[in-house]
Amino acid sequence: MRGFGSGNPNMASGEAVKMRAGRVPEVQLGEQLARVRDRLVGQFEGLEVSGFRGELTLVCAPEQVPDILEFCRDDDELSCELLSDLSWVHWPSGQREEEAEETTGWPQYRGEDEPGRIELDYIVRSLRHNHVFRIRTFLPDSGARIATVSGIYRSAEIMEREAYDMVGVDFEGHPDLRRIMMPDEWEGHPHRKDYPLGGVEVQYHGATVPPPDQRSY
Amino acid sequence: MSADEQVAPDRPARDGDDTGSTRTKLDRATAVASGAIEAPHTYTVASQEWENLPDAVEDDLMVINMGPQHPSTHGVLRMVLTLDGETVVDNKPVIGYLHTGIEKNLEYRPWVMGVTFVTRMDYLSPMFNELGYCLAVEKLLGITDDIPERASVIRVIMTELTRISSHLVWLATSGLELGSTSAMIYGFRERETILDLFEFVTGLRMNNAYIRPGGLAQDVPDDFADRLTRVISELSDRINEFEDLLTGNPVWVERNKGVAILSAEQCLDLGVTGPVLRAAGIAHDLRKAAPYSGIEQYDFDVVIADTADAFGRYLVRIQEMRESLRIVGQAMKALPGGPVMVADRKIAWPAQLALGPDGLGNSQEYISRIMGQSMEALIHHFKLVTQGFWVPEGQVYCAVESPRGELGYHVTSNGTNKPYRVRVRDPSFLHIGALPEVTSGLLLPDVIAGVASLDPVMGGVDR
Repeated sequence: MRGFGSGNPNMASGEAVKMRAGRVPEVQLGEQLARVRDRLVGQFEGLEVSGFRGELTLVCAPEQVPDILEFCRDDDELSCELLSDLSWVHWPSGQREEEAEETTGWPQYRGEDEPGRIELDYIVRSLRHNHVFRIRTFLPDSGARIATVSGIYRSAEIMEREAYDMVGVDFEGHPDLRRIMMPDEWEGHPHRKDYPLGGVEVQYHGATVPPPDQRSY
Repeated sequence: MSADEQVAPDRPARDGDDTGSTRTKLDRATAVASGAIEAPHTYTVASQEWENLPDAVEDDLMVINMGPQHPSTHGVLRMVLTLDGETVVDNKPVIGYLHTGIEKNLEYRPWVMGVTFVTRMDYLSPMFNELGYCLAVEKLLGITDDIPERASVIRVIMTELTRISSHLVWLATSGLELGSTSAMIYGFRERETILDLFEFVTGLRMNNAYIRPGGLAQDVPDDFADRLTRVISELSDRINEFEDLLTGNPVWVERNKGVAILSAEQCLDLGVTGPVLRAAGIAHDLRKAAPYSGIEQYDFDVVIADTADAFGRYLVRIQEMRESLRIVGQAMKALPGGPVMVADRKIAWPAQLALGPDGLGNSQEYISRIMGQSMEALIHHFKLVTQGFWVPEGQVYCAVESPRGELGYHVTSNGTNKPYRVRVRDPSFLHIGALPEVTSGLLLPDVIAGVASLDPVMGGVDR
């Protein structure tokens, strides 16, 4: 963990640090999750396995998601009856911090232009075998589209609506893809990191409080 | 009323107003079965014009708006109901009236401040929100095993009491919705004994912000055990009274039995968890499946029913309150001494509170130490309070069994002092998604009982 003073306290200024598979320490998975990993890696090609704090994550290509989820639900060994959650994270484009050198006290940056991505995490849970893991995929953040999984788990219907509303992912084949939290005529998708936040006007000499992502505190 | 004037099919669709989408969505099995392929126009009816409406309605289908300001919709839930006579053909829930952007708000504040926000999501079970969030932060920090035993036991006591108070509010409100004002006044009265205890411990009745990353905001007062013993004995009597009042009550039974059936397969498909799933016969409880805060060391049963209807959910919740009391009783006996915050000074909240003549406030002893004696302690305090702690990058999913089901926190950190993203999987939100399935084919009055039996809390749905 970093100590005080290191890192940029103004973290939210768009310079998101990308989570790298190489930088995340490889953690021992439990016996059950190791079986899940072997089963899925043996079944699907190109799966990238990562683990953090004992949780299993399998990164796949967007077009693989429906097949993998259907397999997770129907396979006896996996038997994931429940799509627990569909989560999303927006990683905007721009320069990313490649390496933070802690010993010198000054972080070293190697600028790297990365395209913006939206991360989708499908968290599936098996009641029978009592395991939970996530299937992760990345979409480009402009014009993001992926096939719906609401035909596999109907719980995805309402969660995909929220994802569409909040980060603007187009779920192809969704029966009723409309905004759910925001009004229908709303512009923009609030959970995107490039969504404008707006500052606060102060009743004194025309001063303003800057938007939260531009504050120095 | 002239029907032609009132027909407004080309009105622009606003906020889930279903002029267009009712038409496309009427392909639900029930609608097709009843021969209603085409949806009718939308009629706007002003007051006193209802008597003219039946002539204007084609196909005997009527779209009625219920809520968002309806006393029986548990807050601001709006349902656009398509009715065939008195039978519900389709139900489109419209939500978002209580959307406060809490998930986004968390991204711009230090990790500790998040507790204050998440406790306001599902306002009937604030402790569970705090616990789920704190467990996720602690897992990211890698200090899950360092949480003091005393803090974990108090967390269990407080969350299980929250479960009882939440179920009591459920009982009170659904009693009121079905016409039983006695259930309402007793439910709220009993809940008050728990909220009084919370106020005694945390200073606040609700939205306590008591559970913090690393432990608790402060220790329980000295005579906590006495107060808790009184609450337990009082509640166990009162829960029996509820059973006497309602379980055999003909009206209560008639309104709930066989209503809003949701089978186990449907529950799992729709992501419905908690008492609703257990009432369908599946003994799934995260307290057993994925125990947190040492809850596995207490002896309690997972309550199930096999009727899968609203009455089964009532029985499950009543019995769950008793099981929670059992857990609280055992936890109280097992309550060890010691600190209630992790030892790591880089994480532990530095400020100390003390009980003064005017209530809980800053500890004068602590203030005089950082202001008068130790410069380093002041700097440390200042840094930790203004900037908070840094959390290693990573992503975790932590779920707790809230009174409504699986409450999951999917937290992403990018290695700074603020969350990069916090996603909350609220059980009520998934329950709203199950509403069309639950209410299809019900009579309109049974929709009330059906919605009540799912127990959605709109603060958690909209976040």
